Amino acid sequence: MVIGETKVLICDDSILSRKKMKDFLVAAGCKEVFEAADGETAVETYKANKPDVVFMDIVMPKKDGIGAVKDIIAFDEKAKIVMASSVGTQALLKDALKAGAMDFLQKPISNDSLLDVINKLA
Amino acid sequence: MGYMFTQFFGNYLLNNQYVTAEQLIEGIHIKSKTRLKLGVLAIDAGYMTAAQVEEVHERQMLVDKRIGDIAVEMGYLTEAQVEELLGNQKKGYLLLGQALVDKGFMTNDQFEEAISNYKSKYKIDDSVSEEASDLKAAEMVKELCDFSYEDSKMYTDYVVLLLKNLVRFVGDDFAPIKPVLEKATVKYKSVSQKVKGSFSMDMAVAFDDENSMVEFANRYSDEMFTVDEMEYIEAAACDFINIHNGLFTVNVSSESNEELTLTPPEVFEGKTDIEVEAIVFPIKFTFGEVKFIIA
Repeated sequence: MVIGETKVLICDDSILSRKKMKDFLVAAGCKEVFEAADGETAVETYKANKPDVVFMDIVMPKKDGIGAVKDIIAFDEKAKIVMASSVGTQALLKDALKAGAMDFLQKPISNDSLLDVINKLA
Repeated sequence: MGYMFTQFFGNYLLNNQYVTAEQLIEGIHIKSKTRLKLGVLAIDAGYMTAAQVEEVHERQMLVDKRIGDIAVEMGYLTEAQVEELLGNQKKGYLLLGQALVDKGFMTNDQFEEAISNYKSKYKIDDSVSEEASDLKAAEMVKELCDFSYEDSKMYTDYVVLLLKNLVRFVGDDFAPIKPVLEKATVKYKSVSQKVKGSFSMDMAVAFDDENSMVEFANRYSDEMFTVDEMEYIEAAACDFINIHNGLFTVNVSSESNEELTLTPPEVFEGKTDIEVEAIVFPIKFTFGEVKFIIA
């Protein structure tokens, strides 16, 4: 899939992190970029929009990122979810992969690695 | 030479009363525009004394020659030493010293004394590797902070990483000030996060005025947010501590297999009295003061 047809969902409780990622992805030509500020909203937004790639923070209010991954995978086992977190410990990495995430990016995340992931997965 | 010796040299000058805090900040401010003079480099290398440098400077007022040539003529330096010194222009702590001498806040004599005491105290020489720099930084943090707790290694590692992250994400134009243990009052705003696990702490970045917070946020986010965009400014402070604490938990888990977890960062508006005694660690940036509070 080319980037111009890709729909991306950014789940992060930081409005700044979302803005930074969204600004870049829109400029890079993504078709649509959705945002969610907590795990519950992330699951709802996924169900409503079926994005091609999801970037998922871990430490978030209401429902954390791992919980949101489980719920999204239960709804759509083919969902392509990449964890994007400041806490990249081995245990969390394992939990995320077990829940169904495909990859893990340690924050701060460079624009290049965002594009790499989208090119690889979408 | 390591990344943090400039900040610690600034702290050393302050603690030993060579300069005032205001003079130090002004020095850090103009450091970026300062070019290193041969005399300062020669003093640092131990090739010339402050008195010899003064003598050469006086001589230069009378003759139209370069400082290096005069020093060679007067027998204070060899040609090879001049070459070596000129190739050594980018030392942060020297630039700071030079800026303070240029401003008249310190004499060359005081600079000579300070730099030689500082270097011998911390056994710094020009061959310090990056890895050794980390150890030196830990040594300096330990002395600066005087952590006399059970987990003093954890606290030291935490503060070393904090200073590295400040250099990496905000800027190197700061001086760390000796932390105190007190019940702090934050005058403007703070952002806090809990680290939980076998080593747990409550930490916050605190600002006593609006301007410092806005500047800190804009440096971190590489944006130009105004006070009307406070949501983004608060988010930048949250992101900084979240990334810093995240990197800390990653280091801890890879070194000791211990898993620490983080809570989402929280913003505290307005004047806040912190009920418990906490380590209050002020960092003086050129744009203002930022405090880190660790309990």
